[in-house]
Amino acid sequence: MDLTMREKLKQKMGCKDEDFIKPLPVAAPWSKPFWDAAREHRLTLKKCKVCGHIDHPPYLYCTACSSEEAEWIQASGKATLYAYAVNVYGVPFAFMEDLPYVLALVDLPEGPRMISSIVGCDPKDLRNGMELEVVFDDVSPEITLPKWKPVSN
Amino acid sequence: MSKAEFAIIGTGEVPCGIYPNRSEFEIAYRVAKLAIADAGINKNEIGAVLNAAHIMGAEFNTEAFFGRLPEAIGAKNCKIIATTISGGGSSFSIRKTAEGILRSGETDYVLVIHAQRFSQFTANEQINFFAHAGSDLEWEVPYGMTFNALAAMMTQGYMAYTGTTIEQVASVCVACRKWANLQPNAMFRDKPLTVEDVLKSRVVAYPLTALMCNVLADGGCAYVMTTAEKAKKVCSRPVYVLGEASDFSHRSIINFKTRNIDKMYEFFAPVAQKAYERAGLGPKDMDIFEVYGAYPITSLMFLDSLGIVEPGRAGALVESGATSPGGKYPASTNGEAMSFGHTGTGVGFAIFVEGVRQLQGKAGKAQVKDARFLIEDCGGGAFMDAHFTVLGNEIPSPAL
Repeated sequence: MDLTMREKLKQKMGCKDEDFIKPLPVAAPWSKPFWDAAREHRLTLKKCKVCGHIDHPPYLYCTACSSEEAEWIQASGKATLYAYAVNVYGVPFAFMEDLPYVLALVDLPEGPRMISSIVGCDPKDLRNGMELEVVFDDVSPEITLPKWKPVSN
Repeated sequence: MSKAEFAIIGTGEVPCGIYPNRSEFEIAYRVAKLAIADAGINKNEIGAVLNAAHIMGAEFNTEAFFGRLPEAIGAKNCKIIATTISGGGSSFSIRKTAEGILRSGETDYVLVIHAQRFSQFTANEQINFFAHAGSDLEWEVPYGMTFNALAAMMTQGYMAYTGTTIEQVASVCVACRKWANLQPNAMFRDKPLTVEDVLKSRVVAYPLTALMCNVLADGGCAYVMTTAEKAKKVCSRPVYVLGEASDFSHRSIINFKTRNIDKMYEFFAPVAQKAYERAGLGPKDMDIFEVYGAYPITSLMFLDSLGIVEPGRAGALVESGATSPGGKYPASTNGEAMSFGHTGTGVGFAIFVEGVRQLQGKAGKAQVKDARFLIEDCGGGAFMDAHFTVLGNEIPSPAL
């Protein structure tokens, strides 16, 4: 942590220590299995046992057929980059120390699209359609965020 | 053919900008008085007072929920109050509420109010709030998502998949600014803007620069709505609601119904088409296109959907000057969120009220000469919905 930058932000923007705490996902009963698996570095998706529809984000019951019979399937961990943004300025205080950072729409071969971070890549090298693979960022003892990086050749 | 059941007979608005000493209550009371005066009715004829929720203002909302507005305005015969909110689509959902009340026969006059003040919040509070407004708290915000990042990735995708240039994106800001320079209530009424200025300004979220991002501000407006039948009797130039249509897609942009960014018009265009059909009119009949534009990308996607340009080519249309003052397709004539100022749910209210002013011949320097019909739209969240309305200062006669 760059305390100097944090102190500067406190003085300049009037922010407090709690403003630097990053928001973490608060799991709902129906999404808890996703975060439990992520903690074990597994990317999973909620699939309806009746109609086969995959919902992301997951909900209480299938958004296609309303069935509550579901299973959590292991995703391939592959994706393609659909579109992206490079955050440079004007983000919540908690993320200022991460600037610049890349957020993207990524398409999973299983069907869902996700908003996530692209890491391990110079933003200049990003290309729409490039292949990605999942990586796991343990941001707290309880929460691991799946993120993506370009497939290395 | 249009049923034209309802009409707007008066509007009120205060200047948009940073006015920390003007409370949202003062804005609400002021715009209400202006709208009632403009409508030429007595305040005691108002039977319903509706307002849009202040998206960050808990105190104002509590007061509105419990009847402060009709009491302060002195609407002695008010029978119904309601607060509605559906983000940037609020101006439409509140109008549908007003239509329902008018159709019930409980009253002939509904007063609709919008007032918001963002200058009471710190920059961090605003950024945090809008991160949540456009993004999912569980799945997106923990990654550092913001509304600007959402607009940026949509812009990046739109440019990549349609071939639209960054100069064309910037030209949307410039066209809006040209209109705002003609608008006494616009936040940036005094400041001219060029494409170079937009592109040289600080990058916020690539490819978006600071001048491509709207600025949160304080402002508000109001209007009086009545039945078309009543309007003909009490108003010399009512503005009729000729056709309306709506659709909803998703909460998170990841679940947009048409999926591909360059195909978003496939969601929006049928809604616009339905509004045209319900009005018995088409794109060629429109004199103005009051397109919602929180960001340039919003304007481009809506312009792509109106039947005036090949989808994906809206950037070239705007760059040609066609949507600017004096152009063939005047669009967003108040300067929209980027240049009029962004008042939360008020963006849709401001563009609607501007449309009414245009059709009443009260748009001052921004007046589009002899305007008879226009199409207006709004939508909220992360491109979650779309609402198109065709307005006219006459009811078109049925086609022979």
